[in-house]
Amino acid sequence: MKKETKIVLPFYKIAYGVFFVIILSLIRGVTYTYEVGIAIEAPLAILTTVFCADTYVQEIISKRSEIHILYPIKRRFCSIMERIVIQEVFLLVLAIAGYGLFFLFQKPITHPVTENETIQFAAYSFAITITIFFWGILVNTLSMFFRNMWMGIGGCLLIWLITNSGGGEKVFGAWNLFSYTFRDIENAADITWLYGKALYSCIGLILIAILPNIIRKRG
Amino acid sequence: MSIQIKDLTVIFKNGVTAINHADLEIPNGIFGLLGENGAGKTTLMRVLTTVLKPVSGTVTLDKILYSEGNYEKIQRKIGYLPQEIELYPNLTLQECLEYMGDLAGVPKAECRKRMEYYLEKTSLVEHRKKKMKQLSGGMKRRVGLVQALLNEPEFLIVDEPTTGLDPEERIRIRNLLVDFSENRTVLFSTHVVEDLAATCNQLAIIQKGSFLYAGSVKDLAEKAQGKIWICKVSDEEKAREVECQYRITSKQYVEGGLQLRVISERMPELECVPVPGTLEDAYIYVTSQER
Repeated sequence: MKKETKIVLPFYKIAYGVFFVIILSLIRGVTYTYEVGIAIEAPLAILTTVFCADTYVQEIISKRSEIHILYPIKRRFCSIMERIVIQEVFLLVLAIAGYGLFFLFQKPITHPVTENETIQFAAYSFAITITIFFWGILVNTLSMFFRNMWMGIGGCLLIWLITNSGGGEKVFGAWNLFSYTFRDIENAADITWLYGKALYSCIGLILIAILPNIIRKRG
Repeated sequence: MSIQIKDLTVIFKNGVTAINHADLEIPNGIFGLLGENGAGKTTLMRVLTTVLKPVSGTVTLDKILYSEGNYEKIQRKIGYLPQEIELYPNLTLQECLEYMGDLAGVPKAECRKRMEYYLEKTSLVEHRKKKMKQLSGGMKRRVGLVQALLNEPEFLIVDEPTTGLDPEERIRIRNLLVDFSENRTVLFSTHVVEDLAATCNQLAIIQKGSFLYAGSVKDLAEKAQGKIWICKVSDEEKAREVECQYRITSKQYVEGGLQLRVISERMPELECVPVPGTLEDAYIYVTSQER
């Protein structure tokens, strides 16, 4: 775990991740507390995409993949999953810290419809966990498939642009990738956004299931 | 362990034929693969490590056919040092080897034992706590070799392992490979003839994707006997004229002119004396015949 951490979390990645969240919490204006999660979710998806794009592809760039091909698939799979978990836990910590930074810098006020700040934070934590999980897995899958991290980032950006838009909201509704962002914020009882999160959790799990095949064919 | 290559052809997506209907048998022991840059050595090695799939032909390793279904079985038997590789820059040398040994499935205690042995053999013990990015090119090359040896492979493939090493390091690595080749097969690719002369009994010469020679080092050296001449010329202009007519393997200024080492079937019409041919002369002779 320590070695994988050193491999996937070099100083420059930690630095740009931290700065991204600090700058976001400084420049993205929010008035009410229920807007904080919305302000973080979509930008953090982009950060996750860029952050996790080189999870395995760094092995291809450095030509280490020619040695990795000789290792048992099970170990290679475990190594990639370990790397994804390390990066995603780090991003989750950033996302939670970012939530606090918005309160620190923007001092949002509680809207009358918000019944409980703790529940609102729990909902955000759940939504952002799924968001980070999905985008981390997706970008790694695409990057490995194309053997190129820019193709992975580009593919994710395209999906991000489609789903994080008015059109995406209309087409996918509660099943959107960003269903949490597009939820009816003035109706705290509306939990239909969970459909989207459940769907993309399942898709993420399917991508994990096919990872050994991608390693075998494209690793 | 022996490797049989039959009618192997590799064509890249851009249409370049990297290996052209090649046949070769690699027996037990240390086997040299000699060829100029771009001859197809690395491509052949990438086929043998299952990184590249050939267009046609067959390869067998101990009678196991290279096919999709057998790849995992074959991969377990191989250790590989690629020509270009950048090992984990943020890990220390020891961490890097432990990590790669773990990925290869070597038990921790066994991995440590082997690591100690090979670090000692490659004079890397004192550098074990250094980060990979702090090591010199030669040291990195040696670490690359150690990682290839960690799982004690039955078939070791090393692509130019002595590149960037100083003379002392080269000798150490060559000796290590010879020791390792006992009861195993080591494919040693290089374009440095001297390395093969010091290590191999058997070798193959590859040029433009085809094998020009496969056999013993002794027989190859024999090919040049009686065809190597030391000639003396008075000036540079005369030397240039000789270069146009013959293949020159070395040229140096001596008292009263220049001394040329010439490859020629017959004695050149110059002031010449015959000398015994080296392996390098034989290699140049064989490859120049094809040109």
